[in-house]
Amino acid sequence: MIRAVPVLPDGRVRTLCRMCDSRCGIEVHIRNSVLADITPAPDNPGNQGRLCPRAHAALDLFYHPDRIQTPLKRTPNGAFEPIGWDQALDEIAGRLKAIVDQSGPPAVGAWKGEGVGFFQQEGYIRRFIRALGSPNYFSNDSVCFNGRWLGHHLVNGFWNPFPYFDQADLILLFGSNPPVCHPPFLREFADARVRGARLVVVDPKLNPIGCWADVYAQPRPGTDAALIWGLIRLVIESDRYDHDFVDRYVVGFEKIAAYAQRFTPEYVEAESGVWADVVRTIGDLIVRNRPRVSLYAGAGLEHHPGGVNTVRASVILSCLAGAMGRPSGLFWPESPRLASLDSRNLFLENGGRPIGADRFPVLAQMAGEGHSLSAVNAMLDSGEHRLRSLLVMAANPAVTNPNVLKVREALSRLDLLVVSDFFLTPTARLAHYVIPGATFLERTELHVHPKYQTLYLAPQVVRVDGIPTGYELWRDLAGRLGLAEWFPWPDETAVIRHLLEPGGWTIDDLTAHPEGIQYAPLRFDRCLNEPLPTPSGKVEFASQYLKNLGLDEIPEYRPPEAFLPASPEFPLTLITGARKSLLYHSRHGNIDRFRRVHPKAEAEMHPDDARNLGLENGDTIRLVTAGGALIVAVRIVHAAEIRPGVIELYHGWEEAPANLLTLDEVNDPISGFPWLKGVPVRVEKI
Amino acid sequence: MNIVYVDLDRCVACRNCQLECSFRQAEITRDDGANIWVQVDLDHRAIFTSTCLQCETAPCLAACPAGGLTRDPATRAVVVDRNACLGCGMCLLACPFGHIHLEQAGRVASKCDLCGGDPRCVRVCMAQALHFGDVEELAEARRERSGRRLAVRATHREEAAS
Ligand code: SF4
Repeated sequence: MIRAVPVLPDGRVRTLCRMCDSRCGIEVHIRNSVLADITPAPDNPGNQGRLCPRAHAALDLFYHPDRIQTPLKRTPNGAFEPIGWDQALDEIAGRLKAIVDQSGPPAVGAWKGEGVGFFQQEGYIRRFIRALGSPNYFSNDSVCFNGRWLGHHLVNGFWNPFPYFDQADLILLFGSNPPVCHPPFLREFADARVRGARLVVVDPKLNPIGCWADVYAQPRPGTDAALIWGLIRLVIESDRYDHDFVDRYVVGFEKIAAYAQRFTPEYVEAESGVWADVVRTIGDLIVRNRPRVSLYAGAGLEHHPGGVNTVRASVILSCLAGAMGRPSGLFWPESPRLASLDSRNLFLENGGRPIGADRFPVLAQMAGEGHSLSAVNAMLDSGEHRLRSLLVMAANPAVTNPNVLKVREALSRLDLLVVSDFFLTPTARLAHYVIPGATFLERTELHVHPKYQTLYLAPQVVRVDGIPTGYELWRDLAGRLGLAEWFPWPDETAVIRHLLEPGGWTIDDLTAHPEGIQYAPLRFDRCLNEPLPTPSGKVEFASQYLKNLGLDEIPEYRPPEAFLPASPEFPLTLITGARKSLLYHSRHGNIDRFRRVHPKAEAEMHPDDARNLGLENGDTIRLVTAGGALIVAVRIVHAAEIRPGVIELYHGWEEAPANLLTLDEVNDPISGFPWLKGVPVRVEKI
Repeated sequence: MNIVYVDLDRCVACRNCQLECSFRQAEITRDDGANIWVQVDLDHRAIFTSTCLQCETAPCLAACPAGGLTRDPATRAVVVDRNACLGCGMCLLACPFGHIHLEQAGRVASKCDLCGGDPRCVRVCMAQALHFGDVEELAEARRERSGRRLAVRATHREEAAS
């Protein structure tokens, strides 16, 4: 049993759930020094007194019997032995020092996972690796999130991933399943719907939200951009877009208007399989409901080699639909005045050229990070640029990065792999040292919610002797490497005081307002009144910046065949990465009650495809792609549920990783994203 | 009296309620059959979610030959007494909506007991389709909303006409 010391023996602590990035308001109940329950906080605007079932799993994780509670060292025979904190850090620091002395700081990299979020914990990791003198910061964002982040930033210089859907008259969801991925969206959708708002869902898989929609379209994976261009064409043709907006704010309208011409509804149908009439219906809905249009581009749009262009096209469509400067659409949130633990710009000014910057300069220049797929190559390199050591925090690339066999081979070649996590994940099992990871309940952390422009302090709820917070880990390691001046704060509270200084807030202010402090009034029209943070200061339908790099000036559509020629060898299409309601990527598979709901890996298939292949429900099949093969059970779904010819496989199964099949070397030229959705595949009955 | 009420216009079939209910059932009985049901009809792209209405004149209560169903004096919910229940299934047949099921582990009836007054399904309904409240108040909220919707439609029509 874990040695938990809650901050109070009995009572409730208000904090934020960090079981996903929605960060709902919660109350943790403590009874007799035990964390007994998690209930919704009454006044958080995001979750409004409700929670999804994953929130409670924070306690399942916290008290999990398999949780790592002391540092572990791998012995020559592959087993792990517990060692003391000081010994672990002394040895890690010693080995790091030797590597830096021999090969220079860039031989060391750090890799952040989704598990620790995107702000303060990410800041520690970026700060540490920069203090060491290495540009090699990598993250989970290489395979999720960055594609959309770049797509939005390239067009209008900002991204508000959470618009006010409740203010919309038309919501368009592309490649997203919010009931599972973004539960707080649901209240807003429902508010809009009961007011009479229309909903369009575009997804190769019919999820229940598609049943709730007015229009559901089931495109061939990887062809959303054709549909979006078709809609752009219809909006331009209707002449109901805002000419004044285009004249004043937009660069490149003529170019996109000319390019859109070929995307007639019939052409869109031929490319995407979405009927021409449905294309016209969606176009008509946009024209009739503009400007209160919320277009949400889900991860489904970014997980393939045409991802960034698809997202850029979707932003252009939003702009033409009048969404700029509206709460339901695109607005430029303000950031709070906080000290930075490591700004991306500083990193670049210091000449940081992380691994992958040569192949994917946009990623390095705009997101300030290396390309994790190239990092894997660099670990396998034998030359002087070999990446020799990696510090992994709350990431599990041995399951969640494409081409996992290669990833595992690369990780096992490292001279030093340190992994911080709760459990011995497949990645941790390859490590030389494993450091116990703290759950969000064990740390004090600032959170910024750009949608509401609020700042929250999520206080520590419980302390566990022997399990360091993220801050303690980086501070103590830096201290041993002679880098103590980079982490001068004694503890997390002191870090937060430092972060708050520029804005003049105090910890007491934030503690007094567990519902958050609004740091600036919401100005939805800011993006219409200030020059945008793009090279031209305008909305860039066409990007000179990309053109100068030899990339697509306007977000051209390329069908999947442009990235890998169609071949009779792989007649079907694999999509991975759709979420399961209780699992979270590779996490939560070890929570028994969740496991009963999602007991085993299954590839989902259309009944027609199953019949053609002579398959019955539950049969074992082998999936084969250009990347590899995987044996898994088949589940034949309802004929409406998936597009014929498409196979769906969840990406987080440890025992059947879909990433045996995904392609790490067919990349989006802008973001460097791998091919995770729409991969050509063959099914063999065994 | 307070019941769990499903606002079908808001339900997106995320199934959180059903999952949460089955987790609670498993804690009590090791049987994870839920007592709230989310049905998705993929042929017609339709969603239907329902749970026990705690009827004032409950047919299940009347049909029980063994005193296995009683009315909880605090919450007014119809609850199963797992010791008295014979598992005969009369209540399942009597309920016009199919809102009772037979628990596999104990072979006794299982139904919504409102979690003793703090229904967990409502807590996890992020869409706010589920409400726990007095049936009269809920009906009033519903009346108001449908009125508003008609008014909005009328305005839209006028706008479209002008
Ligand atoms: S949606 Fe669920 S997991 Fe995500 S923050 Fe909210 S309660 Fe937690």
